[in-house]
Amino acid sequence: MGKILLITRPEHDTGTRYLSRWSERIIDEAKNKGVRIIDLHKEQASRKRFLGTLTKSNANLVVLNGHGDENTVSGHDLQIILMETDGPITNGKIIFARACRSAKILGPKLVANGTIVYLGYKEDFWFKYNNSDISRPLKDKTAALFLEPSNYLAISLLKMHSAGEANKKSQGLYRKSIERLLVEGPISEDYDNIRILFWNMINQVCIGREDATF
Amino acid sequence: MTEETKTQTEKNSEDIKELMIARLEVTSSEKSFSIGGGPNLTRDELIQHVRKGDEIGQKVTEIELTFLRALKDGTLLGQILDAGQGK
Repeated sequence: MGKILLITRPEHDTGTRYLSRWSERIIDEAKNKGVRIIDLHKEQASRKRFLGTLTKSNANLVVLNGHGDENTVSGHDLQIILMETDGPITNGKIIFARACRSAKILGPKLVANGTIVYLGYKEDFWFKYNNSDISRPLKDKTAALFLEPSNYLAISLLKMHSAGEANKKSQGLYRKSIERLLVEGPISEDYDNIRILFWNMINQVCIGREDATF
Repeated sequence: MTEETKTQTEKNSEDIKELMIARLEVTSSEKSFSIGGGPNLTRDELIQHVRKGDEIGQKVTEIELTFLRALKDGTLLGQILDAGQGK
């Protein structure tokens, strides 16, 4: 059986629209690698659709974009699509949740119940964007500082790096963003973003088998 | 906690809040914030949250203090360097 990526891309506010558009880069990489893609976009990112697809498709890699908290990850219109009791159907999966705080409690619980590895954020995932670029998120250089590094976690997994390596490589890109801003100094319009980049970097974690590959 | 310590803690908290507001006021109003678990906020809306000291305001302060502590105790550089080990 070939490799399958299941990705959710809710789009109900500016934040999720940015995550969704930037996830196109992950989808492009998956296409290049010949990976089968199941893209639950907008209204398709519902709990019913997500669970049904996950059960039937046998997707090996699951990438979730959306809002989250310690115990859940949401899909379109803030509908909860993943929670602790979903342990049995996430058995044997690699999950990356680009959502707030879900790696604090949900991630460890799913891993304890059989998920191979859970990558995500222990704290809130923040990013900034240019108000003038809302209609073209992929052209937004401020958002790129945050979303390129987090994107790279999924892209690195698609390149067959292990989960632990993918996390480190993604953190390495955060480091590059921080270094670039430090070199540019306070004249850079994004200089104040260093603290948020640092926050995202230190709170991005890999829980479970770090040697797992897609 | 003694009354004196409590007063000092409150003063420190107010000082940090004022510092945060002053720092945010010099950032560009042309950029907004997206918080994964919550709303999208303009700079001025974020300042209001800091002023009120609500959950979002406290989170902004926590991010700032995490950064400043790492800078002060020297772990910032170590953590940034460590982040590059996978490259």
